Amino acid sequence: MRRVLAALLLARAAAAQDFSGASPAGSTRAPDGLLDRALPPATATITAAASQTRWWGLPDLETRSVAVGGSFHSWRAALGLSQTGEPELGWTSLGLGFGAASERAGAGLRACARRDRDAPWSVAHALTTGDGVEAGAGAWIMAGDAVRAWASAPQVWTSGASPPLMRPLELGIRIGDVDAAWVRLVAPRAGDDGERALGVALHVAPLQVWAEARDAPLRGSVGLSAAVAVLRVAARIDAHPVLGETVRLSLAWARERRSHP
Amino acid sequence: MSALSLVVAVALNCAPAGHPFVAEVYYDAPGDDTGQEFVELWNDSDSSRVLTGLRLQAGDGAGPGRWTTKWTGGPGDAVKPHSRFVIGGSAVSPRPDVVLTLDLQNGPDGLRLLWPDGATEVVGWGALEFAEYYCGAPAPDVPGGQSLARIPDRASTGSNAGDFHPAEPSPGLANQRSVDATLLRHRSALEPEQPSPGGSATLEVMLVNAGATAWGVDDAALRVTSELLGAPVSLNAPAVAPGETTRVSIPLATLREGRGAFAASVHLVGDEANANDADTLLARVGAGPLEISEIQFHPAAAEGEWVEVRNTSHAPLALEGFELGDHAGAGGSIEAGPPLAADSLAVLAQDPTALRMAYPALDASRLRRVSPWAALNNSDDATGLADQVVLAETDGVPVDRVGYSASGIAAGVTLERAGDTWRPSPTAGGTPLAPPRPVGPVAGGFRADPRRVRTDGETVNFAWELPWGAAKVTLELYDMEGHRQRRLAGPVDSGVHGERPVTLDALAPGLYLAVLRAESADGTFTRVTPLRVDGTRP
Repeated sequence: MRRVLAALLLARAAAAQDFSGASPAGSTRAPDGLLDRALPPATATITAAASQTRWWGLPDLETRSVAVGGSFHSWRAALGLSQTGEPELGWTSLGLGFGAASERAGAGLRACARRDRDAPWSVAHALTTGDGVEAGAGAWIMAGDAVRAWASAPQVWTSGASPPLMRPLELGIRIGDVDAAWVRLVAPRAGDDGERALGVALHVAPLQVWAEARDAPLRGSVGLSAAVAVLRVAARIDAHPVLGETVRLSLAWARERRSHP
Repeated sequence: MSALSLVVAVALNCAPAGHPFVAEVYYDAPGDDTGQEFVELWNDSDSSRVLTGLRLQAGDGAGPGRWTTKWTGGPGDAVKPHSRFVIGGSAVSPRPDVVLTLDLQNGPDGLRLLWPDGATEVVGWGALEFAEYYCGAPAPDVPGGQSLARIPDRASTGSNAGDFHPAEPSPGLANQRSVDATLLRHRSALEPEQPSPGGSATLEVMLVNAGATAWGVDDAALRVTSELLGAPVSLNAPAVAPGETTRVSIPLATLREGRGAFAASVHLVGDEANANDADTLLARVGAGPLEISEIQFHPAAAEGEWVEVRNTSHAPLALEGFELGDHAGAGGSIEAGPPLAADSLAVLAQDPTALRMAYPALDASRLRRVSPWAALNNSDDATGLADQVVLAETDGVPVDRVGYSASGIAAGVTLERAGDTWRPSPTAGGTPLAPPRPVGPVAGGFRADPRRVRTDGETVNFAWELPWGAAKVTLELYDMEGHRQRRLAGPVDSGVHGERPVTLDALAPGLYLAVLRAESADGTFTRVTPLRVDGTRP
């Protein structure tokens, strides 16, 4: 149970878009980790999750998503659907994640297709070009009993309409289990010199609290989650000195399956 | 004086001893010189001097030996002791002793006196090439309206350059009086340039002690009269040492609306020259009949610069009665045309033809060429201003003046008057011959229109509504992750409402957050609005 909880609460980046849950950086939690960052969960689980994100306090820029995940032996898979923003600005996304993992390592692939919301849905509309598609990969490995390193490149390949945010390679390392600390590096993009982050997490059953500080510009995130039996509720707030706050809420159902060697 | 000193002095003297000598030459009057030129001779001896046989010759400095006799002294011509003898045109006042048209050159040229005994005196001015036209070194070439006067009157340095200096013309009078207070002409100024009706202003005059005697505090008085004043204004002039010039500020209060002249004069007991005691400044109190309403100082295409004006009077106006210019002054003449109806707009253009090609619907009768056009600056100087647009009547009475900053204003964007403030026009290319588009309430305090653009340089109009009447506004762009991408505009001054069109060049596709940050003495105000940029990344 403790290992499952650790897997659920492993850190996760703030950079997510369509399938970002409310958990912290580097999470391999199913199904968000696989859909958003191509990081498959270590344990075999069957999950269903729903989340809502209000970006920077803007009511016309909200993301709502639902996702399911499952496993078969070492194989992991997830499927998600999300919608972001008002029709004038927003889009609908369909995400797919696939990977394999053990207790010591995991690797995955993700893909996401987006379609604008600026026209009512129809079969004809669905068949027109203009979609944006992206695909990426990720992997993680346990370097010791409680040392975990990961790499995620969620947009290795893109086609069609550009994604709303370019997401470069991210590297991270986490020390600890449910009480943990982590460091994260994001590669530079055009116009910046990357991003660096430090985070800590504390577990006081059944609660998990965590905080992360980032630079460029200096800002922070805090989160709180609670897991009771198969249900998990999480909240996360990202604070920015200019833009204000992004608030994320998620509700998940997760049932662990026995992993087969 | 020793004999040697006397010999040296005589040798260095440009004027021959024992003869009257040249005291003043006026060769360049404003406008047409005819009838206004004069040459003044001074007999500084204790006995009369006969001028019979004396020849006054004018020299053309363009070549050697070009002397022309302008006057020859007759049998009755003579100069009394310590008196002056003026040879000049019919317009010279007081009337010269000899009236004739001298037709002197404006330089580099000269004149000379040829005495019957063979003595000569040469006075040359300007950059003369040939030595026959000057003595020692030529005197400076004076600007129009000033004479070349021997100062002091007995100056004898052995050089025209040392003896003669620019001065106010004073035919028949000493060049340097014993007692003489002077106001420099055309140097008076009003601050502010166009005061408000009922308000106050300061008239600044340049006061000169042109005499050889100092005067003290309260010895001289300044007086200002004008139809724009309820009553004449008088005040004591400060003490000024001989040869010194000082600026005197004269407070004026309760000004009357309209155009008129401020006549300033200085009064000093014993003043030996009254003709140089006054200066007049044409001025306006209150708004002029035309107001500058829009400025295009950096057109994006080839339509040329233009300035829109509004007839704020209640009667038709002939635009050719006005001039337009930049910070250097209103010097561009406006072509003639039909009078501009009351409350109507007109466009004063650098190139009306090109402007009509860019805006074919413009009413040609209200589109006027200005020539020469004073190119308006596109970048700010150290004062934070790029330039000024100056509108004046042809006689120099100010009408309107607008200083502007070009900071953060994209090419093609005009500045338009919105009430008492100026703002960048939210309409691409401006609104020539049309009023500014009104800015309505902005829901949420900040708006981008459109909220979705393509990457190929589309323009987004940002509008805001602030809780204060005055603030500095900055527009910035962030990505979804909170990384600052670029500054879009500012900081710029803003009232409660403001708009700023911004062209989004070289911006990668994606979803962005446009941020308005306003700062005032009362606090800060931040608003965020999403902005989608469509496109495909390479």
